[in-house]
Amino acid sequence: MRATATVLVALSLVAAGCGHSSSASKQQTILVVVDAPFSQSPYIGNTIGNGVRLAAEQLNAQTLSAGGANYRLRVLRLDNALSPAKAVADTRRALREHATAIVTDGTGVDATWRLANSKHIPICIAYQGGGGLVNPQTRPNVFRIAPTDHGLAFRLAEYLVPKRLKIALLADDSDYGQEGKAALADAFRTLPKSVAARITLPSSASDLAPQVLQARRSGATALLVWAQAPALAKTIVAARSAGWSVPIYTTPAGEDPFVRQQLADHPSWVDGLTFASGRMTAELGPAPWATFEAAYETAFGTTNVGVKSHGRRVIAPPDYAMYPYDFVNLLAAAVQQAKGTNPAKVLAALNQVSTHGANGDERGFNERNHEGVVDDDVYFARFSHMVFRPVRDDPLSSTLPQINQVR
Amino acid sequence: MSAQATAVRTGTAVREAVATARQSWTDSATAAGVAVGLAVIAPFVLGGLIANDSLASGAYLALAATGLGLCVGLAGVPSLAQGAFVGTGAFVAAHVLRDTQLPAELCALIGAIAAAGLGTAAGFAVRSLDSVRVAVGTWLLTWLVALALGALPWLSGGAQGLVVPTRRLFGLNPTPLVHYELGVVLTGLCALGLVALRRGPFGLDLAAASQHRGAAAALGVPMERLRVAAFAASAFVGGLAGGLAVQLDIVADPTAYGPLLSFELLVAVLVGGAAAAFGPSVGVIVLGLISLAARALGALAGVSASRFQPMLEALLLLAVLTTGGYAFVPAAIRAARRFRPAPPRASRRTAAAAPPSRRETLRAHDLAKHFGAVSAVDGVSLELQPRTVTALVGPNGSGKTTVLRLLSGALPPDDGAIYLGRQELTSLTTAERVRAGLVRTLQSRPFFGELSVFEHALVGTNRTRRYGGTVRTLVSTPLFRAENRIAEAHAFAALETVGLAREADRPASELTGSGRERLMIAAALATNPAVLLVDEPSAGAAPEDLELLKAIFTRLKTDGLAILLVEHNLAFVRAVADQVLALELGRVASREPNPRL
Repeated sequence: MRATATVLVALSLVAAGCGHSSSASKQQTILVVVDAPFSQSPYIGNTIGNGVRLAAEQLNAQTLSAGGANYRLRVLRLDNALSPAKAVADTRRALREHATAIVTDGTGVDATWRLANSKHIPICIAYQGGGGLVNPQTRPNVFRIAPTDHGLAFRLAEYLVPKRLKIALLADDSDYGQEGKAALADAFRTLPKSVAARITLPSSASDLAPQVLQARRSGATALLVWAQAPALAKTIVAARSAGWSVPIYTTPAGEDPFVRQQLADHPSWVDGLTFASGRMTAELGPAPWATFEAAYETAFGTTNVGVKSHGRRVIAPPDYAMYPYDFVNLLAAAVQQAKGTNPAKVLAALNQVSTHGANGDERGFNERNHEGVVDDDVYFARFSHMVFRPVRDDPLSSTLPQINQVR
Repeated sequence: MSAQATAVRTGTAVREAVATARQSWTDSATAAGVAVGLAVIAPFVLGGLIANDSLASGAYLALAATGLGLCVGLAGVPSLAQGAFVGTGAFVAAHVLRDTQLPAELCALIGAIAAAGLGTAAGFAVRSLDSVRVAVGTWLLTWLVALALGALPWLSGGAQGLVVPTRRLFGLNPTPLVHYELGVVLTGLCALGLVALRRGPFGLDLAAASQHRGAAAALGVPMERLRVAAFAASAFVGGLAGGLAVQLDIVADPTAYGPLLSFELLVAVLVGGAAAAFGPSVGVIVLGLISLAARALGALAGVSASRFQPMLEALLLLAVLTTGGYAFVPAAIRAARRFRPAPPRASRRTAAAAPPSRRETLRAHDLAKHFGAVSAVDGVSLELQPRTVTALVGPNGSGKTTVLRLLSGALPPDDGAIYLGRQELTSLTTAERVRAGLVRTLQSRPFFGELSVFEHALVGTNRTRRYGGTVRTLVSTPLFRAENRIAEAHAFAALETVGLAREADRPASELTGSGRERLMIAAALATNPAVLLVDEPSAGAAPEDLELLKAIFTRLKTDGLAILLVEHNLAFVRAVADQVLALELGRVASREPNPRL
């Protein structure tokens, strides 16, 4: 009995060993860790997570070969809950599990990049645009595919100043708002005459009428709001309910479904709201985007905004999912170039490879530039009947087609 | 020669300390030692089942919770500010690490000192509040710190937090494993400190104050000062945990030190057992298991685990509170004692030497107290001489108890003066009057429900101690130990005086009403008073108890005490009093020697 058990154990060990060695020679794993705020900002977390997953599934459906081995991508989702300390813990786990790359919204990168860099693991920021997060010289392992605050602020200044508007710069007191405030200060530094007022919006206030009234009294003829979606919605309500039809400009927060949901009872108040974001289509036309969007919707369904336009359901295009999607494709290209998953070689290869992104733009980095979205990729769109279309009075936006947002 | 003498003295002291430790060693101590040993080797045994950084975070959380045990377990104060103290330690240490080249350990210590400063301020603010108000007040402090961190990016580092440089820790590379072992060692030391403090004067006074404030105050326990000290100590340990944890995390995270952390720490302490030294650590382990359960539930429901964790923690806390505080460690100890009862403690209280008696005369002149338009006491003068029992009699509302409260310092007089011998007491606090030699017992037979009979008497002796401070208690210095022996002998002598020496190790809650009355007299006697003020000792006493009380007062009188007795039982007054003061509407209506005499 005892001998039989010993033989069985020995046989199973041999079988397990053979299995491992056989699969190791044929298929290896590229682990991509998604560290995003799934619990605190599910919209952002899921958008990033879905973008990575879509790219991984598409790559796994083909055969990714490098250096004589086949690779399969595995995605591990970790919730950083917008906490830098949790981001550090997640990064440590990623390193323990031998991750090939980490894709994040940007939370805690100031602390995590050094840990990841000690093992030559690249980090890609797919949401936050704060200045200082990315610097190829001091942070060689940090990359970003998302519009930068600097790019958004300068494009907004470039777009608004020729209109001879007196602009009230409104930023909320969140970190997002305060980083935007700094970027706007930089962009408007040489244009003081264009700025009528600089006002901070208290995020926790239920009514922003006093701040909007302050802007109105300053003689402002336009509002530029850099705030999270709730504060933006409250600003629009405060201005429009006071009968002030001032044009309102904002950041990608403008396309957040939350704003339209809050103003669903007053669709006309959303009309004219103009926001800056990363473009969804490029010179190649809308075909690449349409392909990406169709694949995304097949995999994850549509994201309903919760409002209707001319009686039809409005959906949110997955524009921010294309950034992590593009990075995973870049990573696969880097693995192929590095002929394996050796971290140092993959990191070096990321500075050399490029791919066509989900919108048809060419995506890639080099040793001097780790920003995947250039300032010229920032476009402007304006709402009408709860859907947005690129503006016609900006040369970089006017040629872009409207993306269908109703079903 | 002098060096040799010092060496001999040191050797003797060490031998004594070892002997004391061996005498007080219990099964619980063995279990705790084994638990610490297992904790030390856990990372090597678990083999990566739990990541070292998670273990290290848990160890620092256990340290912070053990610190909170000082406040909750010893002082009985439900502080919800520990998260704020941990955060203070973390951010101060982070700033010092960033701005200076000081060693990592010193940075953590500076963080702890800053937290202790905040703890002192918080303790001062809530020093005289009841439990509910303390909980609300400390909860507000936690919010205040969390909001300040959110509102001041220069302080908190904003959304990215404050990244701290890595520096060697005690000469070692600060890996998560090193942090874990340090966290375990510090938690063990803190738990040991908790045990030492609980057994010492500081812990006994705090326990007495938390179980009956009025009775503790009457015995001169400086409750407010002790509460402030408990807060400061608790905050220091929390700040130390924060100052070290921030070096493990390599970032001071403004989102990590909010109200949820304070709540979790309090849950850990209450669930594990506030009064047990390792209760908070066990509570932290239970929270870790809850986090696993929340993860499983989250996976089942397809939502984030963070939505379930606070809910499960609150449910657990509710379960513990509704079952009468049936926390894990005390429950385990009770269960273990069913199988292996604790051996009787070797008594070292045989030498029942009474302290040298103080003979002083108390004089009160023209005492007056008004409550609005009502004149409760109006021009009362009295003199209490050694070896004399003075009875204060009168109908209800005549001002007897108010006179006692004025004399003891529980109420400030509107007019008049009080002297003990040549020392004026009028502006002194109750605690200062007890130290001067004037002590009072209360009317309603209050007692400290969780203390033993002997510990009641020890609370009294604490007023006479010179070397019973917190640091001496923690280090158990030779002077502390020598004074301990004297204090125990005096406490035992006080119990003998009232006929309770045989009950010394029983819980006070098992005594009869009359026994409790005598117990509080013993506690008062243990303060070594010159004057004893007793409020209605015979109320509800059976005839045999009255005989006992008569014998006690006769003995006390013989010992030289001056006694003021407030009584309704005139037969008892006739039996024990030397003179009788009758009060009527706050005035002395008559002052006569006992007619029996």
